[in-house]
Amino acid sequence: MKNIIKITASLFLIFTLSVSVVSAQSWSVPNLSKKKQNPYDTSTKNISSGKKIYNINCKSCHGDATMRNMLPLQPVAPSDLGSQAFLMQTDGEIYYKVNKGNGAMPTFKKTLNDESKWMVITYLRSFDKNKKVSKKIAEVKNPEVSDVKLLLDINKETKSVSANLTGVTKKGARVALQGIELSFKVKRSFGYLDISGNDAYTNEQGMIEIPFPSDLPGDREGHVNLLVKVTDDAYYGEITVDRIATLGVPTDPENPLDERAMWGTRANAPIWIIVSYVGGVLSIWSIIFLVLFQLIKLPKLAKTEE
Amino acid sequence: MNDLPEQKETTLSFEKIKEDILRPMQNHKGLELWIVFLITVIGVCAWAYYVQLRDGLGVTGMRDYVSWGLYIANFVFFVAVSLVGMLISSILGLLRINWITPISRIAEIIAVAFVAVAGLVIVLDMGRPDRVLNVLIHGRFQSPILWDVTVITTYLVISLLLLILPMIPDLAICKNELKKTSPVLKKLYNILSFGYINTPSQHKHLHKMIRTLMVLIVPVGLAIHTVTSWLFAATLRNGWDTTIFGPYFVAGAFVAGSAALIVAMYFFRVSYKLQDYITDVQFDKMGKLMVAVCLVYLYFNLNEFLVPGYKMKTGDDIHLKELFTGNWAIMFWSSQLFGNVIPIMLLVTKKFRKPLPIMIISLFIIAAAWIKRYVIVIPTMLHPHLPIQNVPENFVHYYPSAIEISVTVLSFALALLIITVLAKIFPIIPICETADNEGIDYKIEA
Ligand code: HEC
Repeated sequence: MKNIIKITASLFLIFTLSVSVVSAQSWSVPNLSKKKQNPYDTSTKNISSGKKIYNINCKSCHGDATMRNMLPLQPVAPSDLGSQAFLMQTDGEIYYKVNKGNGAMPTFKKTLNDESKWMVITYLRSFDKNKKVSKKIAEVKNPEVSDVKLLLDINKETKSVSANLTGVTKKGARVALQGIELSFKVKRSFGYLDISGNDAYTNEQGMIEIPFPSDLPGDREGHVNLLVKVTDDAYYGEITVDRIATLGVPTDPENPLDERAMWGTRANAPIWIIVSYVGGVLSIWSIIFLVLFQLIKLPKLAKTEE
Repeated sequence: MNDLPEQKETTLSFEKIKEDILRPMQNHKGLELWIVFLITVIGVCAWAYYVQLRDGLGVTGMRDYVSWGLYIANFVFFVAVSLVGMLISSILGLLRINWITPISRIAEIIAVAFVAVAGLVIVLDMGRPDRVLNVLIHGRFQSPILWDVTVITTYLVISLLLLILPMIPDLAICKNELKKTSPVLKKLYNILSFGYINTPSQHKHLHKMIRTLMVLIVPVGLAIHTVTSWLFAATLRNGWDTTIFGPYFVAGAFVAGSAALIVAMYFFRVSYKLQDYITDVQFDKMGKLMVAVCLVYLYFNLNEFLVPGYKMKTGDDIHLKELFTGNWAIMFWSSQLFGNVIPIMLLVTKKFRKPLPIMIISLFIIAAAWIKRYVIVIPTMLHPHLPIQNVPENFVHYYPSAIEISVTVLSFALALLIITVLAKIFPIIPICETADNEGIDYKIEA
């Protein structure tokens, strides 16, 4: 039964795919759609959130923008969405294609909301060499460096964490690395909580300061495990620093095993149950021993009678 | 068939009573053969247990879902049967009901044998029986398992005392009369008769002790089966999560125990030729008692199944449908019909309360009672709390393996062996009490 379902499903898939592949000749974008404008401005913040959306939804097929490492799909491979050849198109055209889909390119009409789609386009546009007006995060030019160091400073007064990213140039000078996104994370019971906010890019001094949330619980002393990393491993490889910071709200953890309860250990059994059990056992067995004691007297009673 | 005219006026003398009751203890060829047979069965089945001990519980049919299988169902059955001791010799004894005198010792022997083996069945169910003491060493007061272990041990001790204490005068007689028995037995009679020569003060002293124990065993007897039911009822599982499980189990235990007693009465009466002592009256009264306890049990069954069956709340519905019309329907309905409804209908007529018919009915009741325990334990276990994906086939079905069945047979053979041996070395009918009842004077020499 299961096999039949599998076979029909594969047949169906092959059929629909081949139909769509055959029809996947060209995109025809209506003229009106081409003229559609991006309503969002080209801020670093928008570019950054566009990048996040891109990494989650598009990177698996299209690869990193400008790196030409897309999936080699047949018959038409996904384009490098950071290439100049692609960015020739208007925002409206890209928007239309993302909504429509074509062949192996899925439609995002319902899977992404409008804002997210425009954010992705903003991000892609930041690679456009012809659009000088936009702030381009990818354009921040850091010198080629080695021995990249990430230093953390925890400020208890202002309750903030600051990080400093530096590297050593070929000439041997340590310089600040700017425009690099960092992720600030706090360890919780299940995984990490990201506290970076939207604009976690290093400035000209390679510095960045992030306020620590005032209501985040720590352990008894207020300790929390802090983890800071360069978000994109593509730049300098994996660079992470972790630190125990005393920035959390000191909290006494409640261990449910500490109270007297049904689920507790024997030592933490509810008093009433210990009393009932021990009391019951003692009273029944004391009567049993009383009877046994009386039993020993039985032979003596025979003698006294005679 | 024994008809009424046979109820002739028998003139019993103390000598005749002694003679009739002590005779089967001295020479009874069939009994020895029966013992040899039981020991053979135990020997063969012990091999199955050895395999289980060697290879672990994997040789049973129990897997992740059904971790309480045949063994625990059997355990509950054994505990149930053992409750007859408390019902007959204690409750009816305290009410000074006379007709129980000749059968009270059989009841007590059944109680001792079945509760002892019940405890053993738990050990047989353990993968690591060498760790059995951990139950006591690390037991939590919150755990019904600890209560169960405690209460079963206590019940065993009190039942043993209630077997031995009323027997002290009889054992004094054994000491004097059975001159030809083995020295070991002589020594045993000598010790256990506690120098009893039936002086008035001894008589009074002894009966005070017995009365104390009879009162004491009532709460312990109720506890043994109530706590056994709490092993189930203290969980949130469908089918076990009910408030009436305690009294429900007690009522069911009275039914199973009475049936076991009737069967034992029949066999001792025939094989020991005790027609003058275990008369039709005893069977007739036991039949009436059986109707009474069955009616109570039926009432509990009605509550246990009709009320949730009316509501069919989520979770319960799957379980109940499995019982009523699903995979378990045959076992469920046959246990209800043969173990409860039909016996009530038959036993209200006097004809069926004659020894042979009531014995056959009791065999059905016992079988049904056993199946009932199985239906209580396993279907619930087959529905796990959390749904799991890709469950192996042998998790979702449970069939006891040959090893399990053999070990269960072993437990039955062992219980029967204990009963047989006790009935071989001890007078099965109270000699002195019977004489007391008949108003016969007797003397016990020192
Ligand atoms: C399942 C793989 C896959 C995913 C995921 C995917 N694409 Fe595509 N995309 C393709 C393929 C294959 C093509 C080429 C289709 C064609 O031209 O027929 C394509 C084409 C496109 C085009 C048109 C390219 C051009 O040269 O005009 C755009 C724009 C595009 N994708 C944007 C996106 C965006 C934005 C996302 C994420 C929101 C995305 N894609 C996610 C596979 C994918």
